[in-house]
Amino acid sequence: MSVESPSSVRKVVVHLRATGDAPILKQSKFKIAGTDKFAKVIDFLRRQLHRDTLFVYVNSAFSPNPDELIIDLYNNFGFDGKLIVNYACSMAWG
Amino acid sequence: MSEAQKYVWEGAIPLQIHLHESEVTTLPPPPPALVLAPRIGYLPLLISLLKPHFSSTLPPGQDTIWFEYKGLPLKWYIPTGVLFDLLCVEPERPWNPTVHFRGYPSNLLLPCEGEDSVKRSFINSLKEAAYVINGNCKNVMNMSQPDQVELWGSVLNGNLESYRRVSSKLKLGTFEDKHTENINSVLPKSESTGDTDAAGQVKSGRIPVRLYVWTVNEEFDDFEDAPQVDDWDKVSYTNRPVEIHNEDGKFFSLNDAVRRLLPEFFQGSSFDNEGDTNINRTTEEGENSGDPGSSFDAHEIAEIKLVRIQGIEPILEIPFSWVVNNLMNPEYFLHMCVCLKISEASAVQ
Repeated sequence: MSVESPSSVRKVVVHLRATGDAPILKQSKFKIAGTDKFAKVIDFLRRQLHRDTLFVYVNSAFSPNPDELIIDLYNNFGFDGKLIVNYACSMAWG
Repeated sequence: MSEAQKYVWEGAIPLQIHLHESEVTTLPPPPPALVLAPRIGYLPLLISLLKPHFSSTLPPGQDTIWFEYKGLPLKWYIPTGVLFDLLCVEPERPWNPTVHFRGYPSNLLLPCEGEDSVKRSFINSLKEAAYVINGNCKNVMNMSQPDQVELWGSVLNGNLESYRRVSSKLKLGTFEDKHTENINSVLPKSESTGDTDAAGQVKSGRIPVRLYVWTVNEEFDDFEDAPQVDDWDKVSYTNRPVEIHNEDGKFFSLNDAVRRLLPEFFQGSSFDNEGDTNINRTTEEGENSGDPGSSFDAHEIAEIKLVRIQGIEPILEIPFSWVVNNLMNPEYFLHMCVCLKISEASAVQ
């Protein structure tokens, strides 16, 4: 888009939480640009965990589609200044 | 149920689908397949119609179906009607996408393992919508297995009756605007909401919206001259809820909704979640009107060229509550395609 909202450069704290038998990351909180897509979080987790199949959720509830912007997810579903992202190696919440 | 909702559910796009030339091994090449694709459906679900048509010509290998239109790979989790509304600014009938059964572009598209992937994407969108509406999605997560099967089946088969029966259990409600009564009384009497009330639906404030916005810099009068969306990077995809917001006893219109959804383009409208600090960028005097519904032309950097929902371009003065209740998709998201013209003065920034 030719016009960028200045608010879009905002950074969002993403809190990554392992579910089930998924390995726990050494660092669980990351800052990510609001303009990034959720796909970036999924890719990051795949690389960290060396797994192709991963199930990634927000608020232990649903999987957003990877094109959704981090800032939208944060505004809609974040609280306490962060976005909770759960990851699992098998399907956890559908 | 309303007449409009029936039209949405029965809505289909005539497709003339060509097999990509790289996958044609026979001479003469197979003729294109003609199918009717439901608006509320998803392209990979057409495989059972397309595979028999093309199977005899395909090169050896495993099937992973995907589609492209004018070289742009089509995102399979976007409802077919929305893809058409977005990518065919001047509607083409039949629509002519290309199908592939080989060479899935996994760098560009999410993996899709057939109906299971589409169903999972649908249910997750439904959960996300429920979360926006109710602050949680327990009703969807606690759905019984048979209900979930029926819900998905109703979408697959376009069975609105069955969908209404099972989706009413989710208590996601209808969206009301207390200032539309006068308007409803002059509309044709097609909205009998009696059975909705009986199902104990609740009124809700937050409306889940998926917004596909593309911007143009040049004036065009005819959609034929409109620039084509030929790259997904040109479409800004936003998911922001809208709250029906009344002012001066007036109903909340589609125009109001678009302005509130896109505060970065429309001065004088603010988006609650984002804080108002940044939206005065183009305002010389830094004037903050604090008056979300009204707009000041002098400060606006964009003009709404087109709002297309379910294949129609509603007048912008229509009550937004009507739009949502009648034109949303079965996963409770309202998908809106919006084309904005950015004035040249602001485009050069």
